[in-house]
Amino acid sequence: MLCLLMAGMPGSVAAAEVRIGVLAWFGNHSAQMHWHGLGSALQKRLPGVGVSLLYLDMVGLEKAVAAGDVDFIITNPGHYVALEARHGMTRIATQKITPGQDSEFAVGSAVIVRTERADLQSLDDLRGKRLAATVEDGFSGWLVIWAELKRRDIDPEEGDVTPLFTGFPMTRIIDAVDSGESDAGILRGCLLEHLIRQGAVPADRYRVLSARDERASCLMSSPTYPGWAFAAARQTPEELARTVLIALLSLKDNDAVLRWGVPADYYPVHEMLRSLHVVPYDFLREHRLEVQIRRYWPIAVTFVVLLLLWLLYTLRVEVLVLRRSRELSAALTARQALEESIETQRQKMEHLSRLSILGELSCTLAHELNQPLATIGNYARSLTRRLQSGKLSEDAVGQAAHEITEQSERAAGILLGIRDFSRKRARQREDCDAGKMVGEIVALFRGMVARAPAIRIVDRLPAEQKTIHVDRLQIQQVLLNLLKNAYDAHSAAEQTSLPIDIILETTDERVRIAVRDHGPGLAIEDRARLFEPFFTTKPDGMGLGLSICKSIVEAHGGQLVAESPTDGDGLSFSFTLPHGSSLHDQQQD
Amino acid sequence: MISNKTEPAIHVIDDEAPFRRSLLFLLESAGWAASEHESAEAFLANMPTMPADGGCLVLDIRMPRISGLELQRRLTALASPWPIVFMTGHGDVELAVQVMKEGAIDFLQKPFKDHTFLEAIERALQLSRAQQRVSRRCAEARALLARLSPREAEVARCLAKGLANKEIARELSISDNTVHVHRQHVMEKTGTGSAADLARLILRADPNGLDQD
Repeated sequence: MLCLLMAGMPGSVAAAEVRIGVLAWFGNHSAQMHWHGLGSALQKRLPGVGVSLLYLDMVGLEKAVAAGDVDFIITNPGHYVALEARHGMTRIATQKITPGQDSEFAVGSAVIVRTERADLQSLDDLRGKRLAATVEDGFSGWLVIWAELKRRDIDPEEGDVTPLFTGFPMTRIIDAVDSGESDAGILRGCLLEHLIRQGAVPADRYRVLSARDERASCLMSSPTYPGWAFAAARQTPEELARTVLIALLSLKDNDAVLRWGVPADYYPVHEMLRSLHVVPYDFLREHRLEVQIRRYWPIAVTFVVLLLLWLLYTLRVEVLVLRRSRELSAALTARQALEESIETQRQKMEHLSRLSILGELSCTLAHELNQPLATIGNYARSLTRRLQSGKLSEDAVGQAAHEITEQSERAAGILLGIRDFSRKRARQREDCDAGKMVGEIVALFRGMVARAPAIRIVDRLPAEQKTIHVDRLQIQQVLLNLLKNAYDAHSAAEQTSLPIDIILETTDERVRIAVRDHGPGLAIEDRARLFEPFFTTKPDGMGLGLSICKSIVEAHGGQLVAESPTDGDGLSFSFTLPHGSSLHDQQQD
Repeated sequence: MISNKTEPAIHVIDDEAPFRRSLLFLLESAGWAASEHESAEAFLANMPTMPADGGCLVLDIRMPRISGLELQRRLTALASPWPIVFMTGHGDVELAVQVMKEGAIDFLQKPFKDHTFLEAIERALQLSRAQQRVSRRCAEARALLARLSPREAEVARCLAKGLANKEIARELSISDNTVHVHRQHVMEKTGTGSAADLARLILRADPNGLDQD
């Protein structure tokens, strides 16, 4: 076996140079001073092979590994674990740590404070204090203590402790603690004892917090971890690795750099680094978002897509609802506008109809106004004439003045009635006395029609039911139309002296008003078309009167009916109106 | 002349009392007295006689029951001497033509100017006065002729026709002397001096009095 091994060795290593990358965390020169012993010892064990040691910092070392520039590396436990994870480095040996021995290379750390700081007794007391460390990625210089603090639920990342990174050399830590710049400082295990022995530091000046083993030669605040690793790169031939391993294990010296043993278990290192979420477990740090996304992106994408779809759907629904409600409200607005316009048109129509009936009556109206005007004119001219002839007596002036006044008031009265009737105004319902309302319109009719026929008003309403709730002007318009129709019926038959009857009575909780003439009546077929717009039997009629009367009566909840009286000649128009509100209230009570 | 102190009679017939009164007031301003009637019936019921100095009616066309037009017809039928001035509140041309054909003096549309109205009244009164004069002279002529005996009347008509005494004697089968005596009596009774005067008198009494029988 050995022969075979020895026989194979020269062949496999002869052509190669063994390049060993060494972590130089203290600077190249210092590292060279420290490690060159190993280089020369290995060279001795590997004759014919060029052993070269390359001193690199952490980043440089990783780059060299990645580029395949080194066959082996020697680095601290934390860095090794990272390179193992990232580049498939395989440890073949671990620097021996001998507990209890004054070894410079025991991997663990001590947190020191000034002895007189009574307030700082354990690591727990560091909460809210400043803590000096070397560098952020230093293994024994920061990470092991960080892990220990975190285990005690003190997290520097949360600001529980303020780290103060001084850089190398580690003696700067002591300076920081000494000057009070920092409350405490992290030293590699055994460094304090080493310095005390060398006399560089007074023995009682510093205290180690939370020392694990008070009796140990080196006081540690942290657990101890395996020592530095000697690891082969992925591409390094197994033969060469074995050769180098054998050479390493065969080194026999008291010098720590030459003391290598079987590879230690780096699990505690892994655990520690994992707890801190630092390289190679830095991905755990990302896990909050990035890792989760990377791992769960299909679900996340599905979720996001669903969310988007839902959002789109919701938006769509919202937009539709908005649009529909806008359309709806537009439609409602349009409808309202239309209704208003119809209402306006209807009012205009009614107004026109009132003017129309006045127009139809205006011939006789002119006559009626003529009378008082002519009378007034006569008196005025007579007075002038008498004045000129010098026969003007006081009696004459008195008589003339009296007559003129009377006649002008008569004319004004006629005009007032017409103006009241023809003015434009909004509809309004009010309580009014039925008899009084009828009386007013009869007076207007008499004022307008030359030699109006006798109009007999038969009021059969009980005293307490004389009030009606109506639009007075509208109902008077209806009555004026009916009176004029009756009058026209009589005129057509040349029987203007016949009377017109108006009958007021109660029926079915309403007030019924009938206007009856004694003319020739109306043919059945004409009676059927009576209320159609533009239907007329008169040569000068518009044919709108009764049509509008009908709509007015219907608006008051009644019906305009034309019928032949059972007791004789003529035609009778009747309609019903609601009682006044006071009666309503009584009925409701 | 003092005994003959008649004033022209003006009757206003209108159912509109205020207007009627205003017309009376106006007529009074012009120095005329007038009486008022509220309807045609009221006028007919107590129809006044036409004074010697004439008179007229002022009549509204449109009145209830008997209209102005109807009253005019009735008065025409009664050979009434009253000239009529019509009034209306309507500008009704057909009516105007009709009443004018029936002999109305004027047709006035209310309201009218005072002088228009008074001129129409003046015209009606002049006409009426002239008519009254004619009818008065007619009555006088008839009264004179009524004095003659029937034979004298026959002789008078023959004389008026211009017949000589002999022709009259032959016509009436009487002697020449008798004709002469009758002639003397006729001239005395009628106060005429010639056959021509006698003819004018007979015609005044009756415009058809000399027609052949």
